[in-house]
Amino acid sequence: MSRSSQRIIAAGIGVIFLIAGMMKVLDPAAFAVDILNYRILPWTGAVALALYLPWVEIFCGAALVLHRGYRGALCIAAGLFAMFIGAYGSTRPRGLDVACGCFGHGAHRGYWPLLIGDGLLLAATLWLLKAEFRPLSPVIRAGREERAG
Amino acid sequence: MSLAIRQCLTILLLAVIPAIGTGVWHPKRPSWQSDEVTVAVARSWGASALWVDARADADFENGHIPGALPLNEERWDDLLPGVVDAWDPGRKIVVYCSSLSCQTSRDVARRLREEVSLPNVFVLQGGWEAWEAAQK
Repeated sequence: MSRSSQRIIAAGIGVIFLIAGMMKVLDPAAFAVDILNYRILPWTGAVALALYLPWVEIFCGAALVLHRGYRGALCIAAGLFAMFIGAYGSTRPRGLDVACGCFGHGAHRGYWPLLIGDGLLLAATLWLLKAEFRPLSPVIRAGREERAG
Repeated sequence: MSLAIRQCLTILLLAVIPAIGTGVWHPKRPSWQSDEVTVAVARSWGASALWVDARADADFENGHIPGALPLNEERWDDLLPGVVDAWDPGRKIVVYCSSLSCQTSRDVARRLREEVSLPNVFVLQGGWEAWEAAQK
Protein backbone atom coordinates (compact mmCIF):
# COMPACT_ATOMS: atom_id res chain seq x y z
CA MET A 1 0.00 0.00 0.00
CA SER A 2 1.26 3.46 -0.87
CA ARG A 3 2.66 6.00 1.58
CA SER A 4 -0.29 8.32 1.03
CA SER A 5 -2.80 5.60 1.96
CA GLN A 6 -0.80 4.89 5.09
CA ARG A 7 -0.93 8.55 6.00
CA ILE A 8 -4.68 8.68 5.47
CA ILE A 9 -5.21 5.67 7.75
CA ALA A 10 -2.85 7.14 10.37
CA ALA A 11 -4.69 10.47 10.20
CA GLY A 12 -7.99 8.63 10.65
CA ILE A 13 -6.67 6.94 13.78
CA GLY A 14 -5.32 10.32 14.90
CA VAL A 15 -8.72 11.96 14.52
CA ILE A 16 -10.30 9.18 16.61
CA PHE A 17 -7.75 9.87 19.36
CA LEU A 18 -8.26 13.61 19.13
CA ILE A 19 -12.03 13.32 19.49
CA ALA A 20 -11.77 10.72 22.27
CA GLY A 21 -9.27 12.85 24.19
CA MET A 22 -11.25 16.05 23.84
CA MET A 23 -14.49 14.40 24.96
CA LYS A 24 -12.73 13.15 28.08
CA VAL A 25 -11.03 16.46 28.83
CA LEU A 26 -14.45 18.13 28.97
CA ASP A 27 -15.34 16.21 32.13
CA PRO A 28 -12.36 14.57 33.87
CA ALA A 29 -14.37 13.88 37.03
CA ALA A 30 -16.83 11.74 35.09
CA PHE A 31 -13.97 10.00 33.28
CA ALA A 32 -12.36 9.17 36.64
CA VAL A 33 -15.60 7.43 37.62
CA ASP A 34 -15.61 5.51 34.35
CA ILE A 35 -12.04 4.34 35.06
CA LEU A 36 -12.93 3.43 38.64
CA ASN A 37 -15.81 1.28 37.38
CA TYR A 38 -13.28 -1.01 35.70
CA ARG A 39 -12.20 -1.98 39.23
CA ILE A 40 -8.53 -2.15 38.24
CA LEU A 41 -7.21 1.02 39.86
CA PRO A 42 -7.96 2.61 43.23
CA TRP A 43 -9.62 6.03 43.22
CA THR A 44 -6.35 8.02 43.28
CA GLY A 45 -5.02 6.00 40.34
CA ALA A 46 -8.27 6.58 38.47
CA VAL A 47 -8.03 10.33 39.10
CA ALA A 48 -4.39 10.49 37.93
CA LEU A 49 -5.22 8.54 34.80
CA ALA A 50 -8.33 10.63 34.12
CA LEU A 51 -6.20 13.78 34.19
CA TYR A 52 -3.34 12.37 32.12
CA LEU A 53 -4.74 9.91 29.58
CA PRO A 54 -6.92 12.37 27.61
CA TRP A 55 -3.90 14.58 26.96
CA VAL A 56 -1.79 11.62 25.84
CA GLU A 57 -4.60 10.82 23.39
CA ILE A 58 -4.76 14.41 22.17
CA PHE A 59 -1.00 14.74 21.64
CA CYS A 60 -0.81 11.29 20.09
CA GLY A 61 -3.76 12.07 17.80
CA ALA A 62 -2.26 15.41 16.78
CA ALA A 63 1.09 13.74 16.03
CA LEU A 64 -0.60 11.16 13.80
CA VAL A 65 -2.65 13.78 11.95
CA LEU A 66 0.28 16.17 11.48
CA HIS A 67 2.78 13.36 10.83
CA ARG A 68 5.14 14.76 13.45
CA GLY A 69 6.68 12.39 15.98
CA TYR A 70 4.93 9.81 13.85
CA ARG A 71 6.70 6.63 14.92
CA GLY A 72 6.44 7.44 18.60
CA ALA A 73 2.77 8.27 18.21
CA LEU A 74 2.13 4.95 16.47
CA CYS A 75 3.84 3.10 19.33
CA ILE A 76 1.73 4.95 21.90
CA ALA A 77 -1.45 4.37 19.89
CA ALA A 78 -0.75 0.64 19.72
CA GLY A 79 -0.06 0.59 23.47
CA LEU A 80 -3.27 2.46 24.25
CA PHE A 81 -5.39 0.16 22.08
CA ALA A 82 -3.79 -2.93 23.65
CA MET A 83 -4.25 -1.51 27.14
CA PHE A 84 -7.90 -0.74 26.48
CA ILE A 85 -8.61 -4.15 24.96
CA GLY A 86 -7.03 -5.80 27.99
CA ALA A 87 -8.89 -3.65 30.49
CA TYR A 88 -12.28 -3.71 28.80
CA GLY A 89 -11.95 -7.36 27.79
CA SER A 90 -11.43 -8.31 31.43
CA THR A 91 -14.68 -6.70 32.62
CA ARG A 92 -17.16 -9.34 31.48
CA PRO A 93 -15.21 -12.32 32.88
CA ARG A 94 -15.13 -10.40 36.19
CA GLY A 95 -18.91 -9.96 36.13
CA LEU A 96 -18.80 -6.23 35.41
CA ASP A 97 -20.90 -4.37 32.88
CA VAL A 98 -19.24 -0.99 32.51
CA ALA A 99 -19.57 1.92 30.13
CA CYS A 100 -16.28 2.05 28.24
CA GLY A 101 -15.85 5.81 28.70
CA CYS A 102 -14.02 5.91 25.36
CA PHE A 103 -15.78 9.00 24.04
CA GLY A 104 -16.83 10.60 27.27
CA HIS A 105 -18.93 9.67 30.23
CA GLY A 106 -21.45 6.87 29.86
CA ALA A 107 -20.53 5.95 26.29
CA HIS A 108 -21.70 2.36 25.88
CA ARG A 109 -21.37 0.56 22.56
CA GLY A 110 -21.66 -3.05 23.65
CA TYR A 111 -18.95 -5.48 24.67
CA TRP A 112 -18.12 -7.35 21.47
CA PRO A 113 -18.59 -4.49 18.97
CA LEU A 114 -16.21 -2.41 21.06
CA LEU A 115 -13.58 -5.13 21.37
CA ILE A 116 -13.79 -5.96 17.66
CA GLY A 117 -13.58 -2.27 16.71
CA ASP A 118 -10.57 -1.69 18.90
CA GLY A 119 -8.98 -4.93 17.72
CA LEU A 120 -9.24 -3.68 14.14
CA LEU A 121 -7.75 -0.32 15.10
CA LEU A 122 -4.90 -2.09 16.90
CA ALA A 123 -4.29 -4.27 13.84
CA ALA A 124 -4.23 -1.19 11.59
CA THR A 125 -1.80 0.57 13.93
CA LEU A 126 0.51 -2.44 14.10
CA TRP A 127 0.41 -2.70 10.33
CA LEU A 128 1.40 0.97 10.04
CA LEU A 129 4.22 0.39 12.52
CA LYS A 130 5.45 -2.60 10.55
CA ALA A 131 5.43 -0.55 7.35
CA GLU A 132 7.30 2.24 9.12
CA PHE A 133 10.05 -0.02 10.41
CA ARG A 134 10.36 -2.01 7.19
CA PRO A 135 13.96 -1.80 5.90
CA LEU A 136 14.33 0.62 3.00
CA SER A 137 15.18 -0.77 -0.40
CA PRO A 138 18.84 -0.24 -1.39
CA VAL A 139 17.77 2.22 -4.14
CA ILE A 140 15.81 4.47 -1.76
CA ARG A 141 18.53 4.27 0.89
CA ALA A 142 21.20 5.26 -1.63
CA GLY A 143 19.05 8.19 -2.79
CA ARG A 144 18.58 9.43 0.78
CA GLU A 145 22.26 9.09 1.56
CA GLU A 146 23.06 11.00 -1.57
CA ARG A 147 20.69 13.84 -0.64
CA ALA A 148 22.08 13.91 2.88
CA GLY A 149 25.50 14.42 1.32
CA MET B 1 14.08 2.56 16.96
CA SER B 2 15.76 5.10 19.24
CA LEU B 3 13.95 7.86 17.34
CA ALA B 4 10.61 6.20 18.09
CA ILE B 5 11.48 5.91 21.79
CA ARG B 6 12.48 9.59 21.89
CA GLN B 7 9.24 10.58 20.21
CA CYS B 8 7.23 8.40 22.62
CA LEU B 9 8.88 10.01 25.61
CA THR B 10 8.34 13.50 24.18
CA ILE B 11 4.61 12.92 23.71
CA LEU B 12 4.24 11.29 27.14
CA LEU B 13 6.14 14.12 28.84
CA LEU B 14 4.32 16.88 26.96
CA ALA B 15 1.00 15.44 28.13
CA VAL B 16 2.05 15.88 31.76
CA ILE B 17 1.92 19.68 31.51
CA PRO B 18 -1.75 20.13 30.53
CA ALA B 19 -2.67 17.19 32.79
CA ILE B 20 -1.35 19.12 35.78
CA GLY B 21 -3.22 22.20 34.59
CA THR B 22 -6.40 20.16 34.31
CA GLY B 23 -5.95 18.85 37.84
CA VAL B 24 -5.48 22.36 39.21
CA TRP B 25 -7.83 24.59 37.22
CA HIS B 26 -10.45 22.49 35.42
CA PRO B 27 -13.92 23.31 36.79
CA LYS B 28 -14.85 19.63 36.59
CA ARG B 29 -11.59 18.25 38.02
CA PRO B 30 -12.03 15.13 40.13
CA SER B 31 -11.36 15.24 43.84
CA TRP B 32 -8.41 13.13 45.05
CA GLN B 33 -10.57 12.02 47.95
CA SER B 34 -12.67 8.93 47.19
CA ASP B 35 -16.40 9.28 47.82
CA GLU B 36 -17.04 5.55 48.12
CA VAL B 37 -17.91 3.98 51.43
CA THR B 38 -18.34 0.34 52.36
CA VAL B 39 -21.49 -1.04 53.94
CA ALA B 40 -19.68 -1.43 57.26
CA VAL B 41 -18.54 2.19 57.33
CA ALA B 42 -21.93 3.56 56.27
CA ARG B 43 -23.71 1.44 58.88
CA SER B 44 -21.35 2.70 61.56
CA TRP B 45 -22.73 6.18 60.92
CA GLY B 46 -26.07 5.01 62.31
CA ALA B 47 -28.88 7.53 62.21
CA SER B 48 -26.64 10.23 60.78
CA ALA B 49 -26.62 8.34 57.46
CA LEU B 50 -29.37 9.32 55.06
CA TRP B 51 -29.77 6.43 52.61
CA VAL B 52 -30.78 7.34 49.07
CA ASP B 53 -31.88 4.63 46.64
CA ALA B 54 -30.95 5.56 43.07
CA ARG B 55 -32.50 2.49 41.46
CA ALA B 56 -35.71 2.43 39.42
CA ASP B 57 -39.02 2.66 41.30
CA ALA B 58 -39.83 -1.03 40.72
CA ASP B 59 -36.53 -2.12 42.29
CA PHE B 60 -37.12 0.18 45.24
CA GLU B 61 -40.57 -1.31 45.80
CA ASN B 62 -39.13 -4.84 45.68
CA GLY B 63 -36.80 -4.05 48.54
CA HIS B 64 -34.57 -1.32 49.85
CA ILE B 65 -32.36 -0.40 52.78
CA PRO B 66 -34.57 0.42 55.80
CA GLY B 67 -35.27 4.13 55.92
CA ALA B 68 -33.92 4.77 52.41
CA LEU B 69 -35.55 7.39 50.25
CA PRO B 70 -35.98 6.86 46.51
CA LEU B 71 -34.26 9.30 44.18
CA ASN B 72 -33.75 8.24 40.59
CA GLU B 73 -33.07 10.33 37.54
CA GLU B 74 -36.35 9.37 35.82
CA ARG B 75 -38.39 11.12 38.54
CA TRP B 76 -35.72 13.50 39.83
CA ASP B 77 -37.98 16.53 40.18
CA ASP B 78 -40.73 14.59 41.99
CA LEU B 79 -38.43 12.78 44.42
CA LEU B 80 -35.81 15.41 45.19
CA PRO B 81 -37.95 17.43 47.65
CA GLY B 82 -38.34 14.34 49.86
CA VAL B 83 -34.57 13.94 50.11
CA VAL B 84 -33.93 17.63 50.71
CA ASP B 85 -36.59 17.71 53.45
CA ALA B 86 -35.05 14.70 55.20
CA TRP B 87 -31.52 16.11 55.03
CA ASP B 88 -30.01 18.30 57.70
CA PRO B 89 -26.43 19.60 57.92
CA GLY B 90 -25.31 16.89 60.34
CA ARG B 91 -26.29 14.01 58.05
CA LYS B 92 -24.23 12.11 55.52
CA ILE B 93 -26.00 11.05 52.36
CA VAL B 94 -25.21 7.54 51.13
CA VAL B 95 -26.45 6.85 47.61
CA TYR B 96 -26.68 3.32 46.31
CA CYS B 97 -27.75 1.48 43.18
CA SER B 98 -27.96 -2.20 42.36
CA SER B 99 -24.39 -3.50 42.21
CA LEU B 100 -20.68 -2.79 41.90
CA SER B 101 -20.88 -1.94 38.22
CA CYS B 102 -24.00 0.23 38.23
CA GLN B 103 -23.56 3.89 37.43
CA THR B 104 -26.75 5.54 38.65
CA SER B 105 -25.63 6.03 42.24
CA ARG B 106 -22.63 8.01 41.02
CA ASP B 107 -24.79 10.12 38.72
CA VAL B 108 -27.30 10.84 41.48
CA ALA B 109 -24.52 11.62 43.99
CA ARG B 110 -22.97 13.98 41.52
CA ARG B 111 -26.22 15.82 40.87
CA LEU B 112 -26.82 16.15 44.61
CA ARG B 113 -23.41 17.79 44.98
CA GLU B 114 -23.50 19.97 41.89
CA GLU B 115 -27.15 20.90 41.45
CA VAL B 116 -28.33 20.88 45.04
CA SER B 117 -24.94 21.77 46.60
CA LEU B 118 -25.30 19.16 49.33
CA PRO B 119 -22.09 18.29 51.19
CA ASN B 120 -21.05 14.84 52.48
CA VAL B 121 -22.55 12.81 49.66
CA PHE B 122 -21.12 9.30 49.41
CA VAL B 123 -21.61 6.30 47.15
CA LEU B 124 -22.15 2.86 48.65
CA GLN B 125 -19.54 0.45 47.32
CA GLY B 126 -21.25 -2.57 45.81
CA GLY B 127 -24.72 -1.04 46.18
CA TRP B 128 -27.79 -3.06 47.08
CA GLU B 129 -25.98 -6.36 46.36
CA ALA B 130 -23.32 -5.53 48.95
CA TRP B 131 -25.99 -4.53 51.46
CA GLU B 132 -27.85 -7.82 50.96
CA ALA B 133 -24.61 -9.80 51.22
CA ALA B 134 -23.79 -8.03 54.50
CA GLN B 135 -27.16 -9.14 55.94
CA LYS B 136 -26.38 -12.86 55.44
